Amino acid sequence: MQAFDYARPATTAEAVALLTRHGDQARILAGGTDFVVRLRHGIETPGVVVDIKGLTDLPADVTEGGGSVRIGATAVMADLCRHPVLRARFPALVEAMSVVGSIQIRNRATLAGNVCHASPAADTAPALLVHDARLVIAGTGGERRMPLSEFVLGPGRTALGTAEIVTAAELPVPARPLGTAFARMTRRRGVDLATISVCCSVDADGVTRLGCGAAAPVPFLVTDISGILADVNAPGPARDVALDRLIAQARPISDVRASREYRLAMLRVLSRRALLAAAQRLAASQNGKARTGGADRGDRA
Amino acid sequence: MTTTRIELTVNGTAVTLTVGAHRPLLEVLRDELNLTGTKECCAVGECGACTVIVDGRPVNSCLMLAVEVSGRHVTTVEGLGCAGRMSRMQQAFLDRGAVQCGFCIPGMVVSATSLLEAEPHPSAEQVREGLSGNLCRCGGYNRIVAAVLAAAGEAPEETR
Amino acid sequence: MTATFPDAGTRQHSVGSPVSRLGGAERVTGAQKFVADVRLKDMLHVKLVTLDCGRARILDVDVSAAYEVPGVVHVLTAADLPRPVPRFGPAFADRPVLAAGETKYHGEPVAAVAAATRDAAEAGAARVVVRYEALPAVLTVDAALDPAAPLVQAPELRPGDPLARTNVLRERNFGWGDIDEARPSLVVAGEYTFPMVTHFAIEPHGAIAAADDDGLTFWSPVQHPYLLQRMMAELFDLPLSRVRVLAPDPGGAFGGKQNPKFEPLLAFLALRTGRPCRLVLTLEETFQAVRRTAARVRVRTGFSAAGDIMFHDIESDYLLGAYADIAERVVAKSNYLACGPYRVPAARIRARAILSHTTPSCAFRGFGTPQINWAVESQLDEGARRLGLDGLSIRLRSLAAKGEPVVPGDVPADGQWEQSVRKAAAAVGWSTPLPPGHGRGIACGIKSGATTGLSQSTVRLLFDGSVLVLAGTSDMGQGARTIFAQIAADELGAPLDRIRVVMGDTEIVPFDLQTSASRSTVFMGNAILHACQDIHRQLRDMAAELYGVDVAAVTVTDGMVRLPTGSRPIAEVVQASLGRLRGEVIGNGVMRKTDMPEHPLGGDPAFYEFNCTAFEAEVDTDTGEILIHKHITVGDVGRALNPLQVESQDEGAAIMGLGHTLMEQVILDGTGRILNLGALDYRIPTTKDVPLDLRAMAVENADGPGPYGAKGVSEGALLCTAPALAAAVADATGVVIRDLPLTPERVWQHLQVRRGPAAEEGAAPPRP
Repeated sequence: MQAFDYARPATTAEAVALLTRHGDQARILAGGTDFVVRLRHGIETPGVVVDIKGLTDLPADVTEGGGSVRIGATAVMADLCRHPVLRARFPALVEAMSVVGSIQIRNRATLAGNVCHASPAADTAPALLVHDARLVIAGTGGERRMPLSEFVLGPGRTALGTAEIVTAAELPVPARPLGTAFARMTRRRGVDLATISVCCSVDADGVTRLGCGAAAPVPFLVTDISGILADVNAPGPARDVALDRLIAQARPISDVRASREYRLAMLRVLSRRALLAAAQRLAASQNGKARTGGADRGDRA
Repeated sequence: MTTTRIELTVNGTAVTLTVGAHRPLLEVLRDELNLTGTKECCAVGECGACTVIVDGRPVNSCLMLAVEVSGRHVTTVEGLGCAGRMSRMQQAFLDRGAVQCGFCIPGMVVSATSLLEAEPHPSAEQVREGLSGNLCRCGGYNRIVAAVLAAAGEAPEETR
Repeated sequence: MTATFPDAGTRQHSVGSPVSRLGGAERVTGAQKFVADVRLKDMLHVKLVTLDCGRARILDVDVSAAYEVPGVVHVLTAADLPRPVPRFGPAFADRPVLAAGETKYHGEPVAAVAAATRDAAEAGAARVVVRYEALPAVLTVDAALDPAAPLVQAPELRPGDPLARTNVLRERNFGWGDIDEARPSLVVAGEYTFPMVTHFAIEPHGAIAAADDDGLTFWSPVQHPYLLQRMMAELFDLPLSRVRVLAPDPGGAFGGKQNPKFEPLLAFLALRTGRPCRLVLTLEETFQAVRRTAARVRVRTGFSAAGDIMFHDIESDYLLGAYADIAERVVAKSNYLACGPYRVPAARIRARAILSHTTPSCAFRGFGTPQINWAVESQLDEGARRLGLDGLSIRLRSLAAKGEPVVPGDVPADGQWEQSVRKAAAAVGWSTPLPPGHGRGIACGIKSGATTGLSQSTVRLLFDGSVLVLAGTSDMGQGARTIFAQIAADELGAPLDRIRVVMGDTEIVPFDLQTSASRSTVFMGNAILHACQDIHRQLRDMAAELYGVDVAAVTVTDGMVRLPTGSRPIAEVVQASLGRLRGEVIGNGVMRKTDMPEHPLGGDPAFYEFNCTAFEAEVDTDTGEILIHKHITVGDVGRALNPLQVESQDEGAAIMGLGHTLMEQVILDGTGRILNLGALDYRIPTTKDVPLDLRAMAVENADGPGPYGAKGVSEGALLCTAPALAAAVADATGVVIRDLPLTPERVWQHLQVRRGPAAEEGAAPPRP
């Protein structure tokens, strides 16, 4: 790959200053699992690479306070998957992170990096959307926050300015009990990119949220407040109608991984399964005892 | 092009190098340190042939810049054994017939070594999961899993 | 797997034991040197210049900017080469050293940059400016056969060939009996497709060339070092004695590294620069360089009411790439045995090798048989379904017994194949009740071993009883080195750790034709055996003289020299006989199978590689995902010289078969550009894709032509994967699929159609 200069600032302010000075010529390096591939293929040809792994003033990997859980920008997914706070509060996000690549990838890849790379198929996006994740962004003007749903603008495009860094992701701690589930479709059982991915949450009021990945140019979130999707006893056809209405805004493409038609069909199948799993988990947490687990074949319409 | 001076430990030995920032760790290990055991295949972090251990974690060295490991400990396949003897894992791979063409093997053995350090008594499922980032086209997976279980002191499953 | 020995000797036999692989220690420690690990003094790094385009006319190549990169030493273009551009190839000399006027496939090199460092070569290559215009490309069988299609190869390259003005490189017609006279109760017709797939050895391709006053030296993990030697000697007009090929063990080859591809280009660069030149391809470039021949096969099969196969009428169209490599032979050899291991009264096989503007297809494990078997075995299952029979019984009915012809007039069935079939059926639990939602499938196949060939070996029994075996086979993971040592160990009474096998140097090691067709156990194994027997003859003479006995009274068995008065270890006889001056005993051996010019393949099969594969599988009918519960493969191996290696190879081939059955395909855009280059979007099986229960077994009847009754192995276990699994899927769901791979999406598409035309728009699933 082409040569570049390398900087490893110690503070966020230094990093922002570097990005400001070099503007378009600078790129941020965190885990590198997407970025180094782009460097190798000549898609990125920066003059300066700013390595943020040396920043001493970033939030620690996982901190909780003020009703939110904050995940530091340089925390690697392997560590996040093991973290007890994330496992307890956001199990679907942990499920999603644990299928991002292999262990070798997860030992380097960061959650913030996955978000900033902004692939329509980003495995973590559906769960982050369902949990109303925000990005904490540092720039010359100080710190600002932005919901994920507004941050990702298109395939590979975010609202991050040239002299800005994501310093953390923040997830509000769920106010009421939630059942969540993550599901995705891949071409093989082994490590793969998602053909379709969904994350579902169901709360005690029956509010159902579905985060969808690889189903549109940007991952999207849809919400149903009618309660019918959360009600496992509601008649199948009525639930199907509600589900179809919910995912009507999906606009997947046909590419080397899958056709549009298959993606739409799998979105439906996976959503149904994730809904069921989420509802069961909610019931289990409310009853304090485990139900018989697993998606029952008979429930597949 | 500016170069950067890095100091790191490779297989227990302190090393000082001056490298361009763009040089992947994989290339620097192979070309500057003559540690050619670690292999290059896909160069995009999909095949695991380039796996090394950095500060106790298995990573794809093709996706790391050498400058990122300044101050770190790197272990390659050459560093697994001790005093001219193979490691238990390496011996298990040999004993179990897990080696065919051998090109994936350095990455596999390094990954497997790391796996056992994190999880000393893995199930076959955990071994498969832990090695899912290492491709073997010769298809030696079942024997590789058996070798890892043997190295862990587990009885191999009958059906594998 | 137990090995039995006809006479129990006094020492533990090495042959038949699962001894540890020679070269294994080097591989687990990282000491094994592959070609990319070879460093030479003053070596230059080479980077190819290719176009991001399918077929294109080259208008202009401007290399001036490349020379501005510090470290760039030379940029080779067609202008540097003799005119007309030299062409080479193992069967047809059609491939130019560099693209001449036109690139005929995505990735064909237009130029090559040699520089002092890898970075400089890459930077230099990026600065070469090629002006080109895209040309319409022929990418499918139908497109190639269209009379208005552009010709992939200029007619001048095929003088005297009546097909020269078409894209059909060669048409082969095989058959026997009269299919029109058959009176079948049922005729089943089907059209089957097998996609382009690529080898994806974990070691990308590479080679080094060096030139000096003495001649040329190559380092190449080529499977056929002596073929490379010959072709380079011819290309550069040198005597063989001045072309040396050093062949590091390939890091996986599977046929893709059989024939030269970039060595000629490197030789020109080495001659031009006066320095060794090394090219190591990226994985993406490797995908562009080699693939399996794709196929579209139309079959009509006639069955009797009881399920006997009465005829096959086969139209087999194999899609080659832009240059023939060895792919015409792939078509011929596999289609010759298209009818498989059965008694088939009548057959008509019309097989065509068709050129296209795609990656040159070459040899790939199975050599055309997985493709034709996919079609013909699937026909048997269709017949079974229609006749109310099962896949096992319909096959057993017509399976050729040992000694019965599979192609009338040719080598008959050379194994008790029914044993393998019954073993596979029992292992998969064929007659046991199936859990709900599961299905079973079984398939058989044969592949011809080598039809001609020559292997030579020299064995040097050294003064202290240790041994050097010189054998020109390429050990690419199949473990050739190990079994050769095992043979020598048993024949010469030397412990395995005192035997060294020397390979991979044409200057030291005698001639071997090639490593392919699962031939090495038989051909080189026999050559080594004969070399050892040559040593035995000398030992007998030595002993006769030494002990004053008649040479007729001396035998050598089990590593001992046996005299009327007792036995002596071989080493003792050697030392006593050679005495103070020391020395060694040299044995030479040959196995030669000569041409049969009248035979359609130039020779008859030395052996058949027979396989039976069976599956139990389940399908998630909502997603189309297949879950394999049981995957059984049984091979008729004659004798497993190293049971561990045989099992490893068969397991590996089985998993490779799952690759093309479930997930592998090269995807092109309309212009011939490969869309899924590289490991991100070309999927091969991982540890998590292995079936829940995969078992590789063998039947050993010591009825092969190789040492101790061995036959060739390593290709069998992927011959039948696809039809057997598709049969299991059909059994589980009722859905019959005739195109590969059986991706979840494809299976799902077929399930939608089966549910009724109203279920989804578009009644027929999309054909590739």
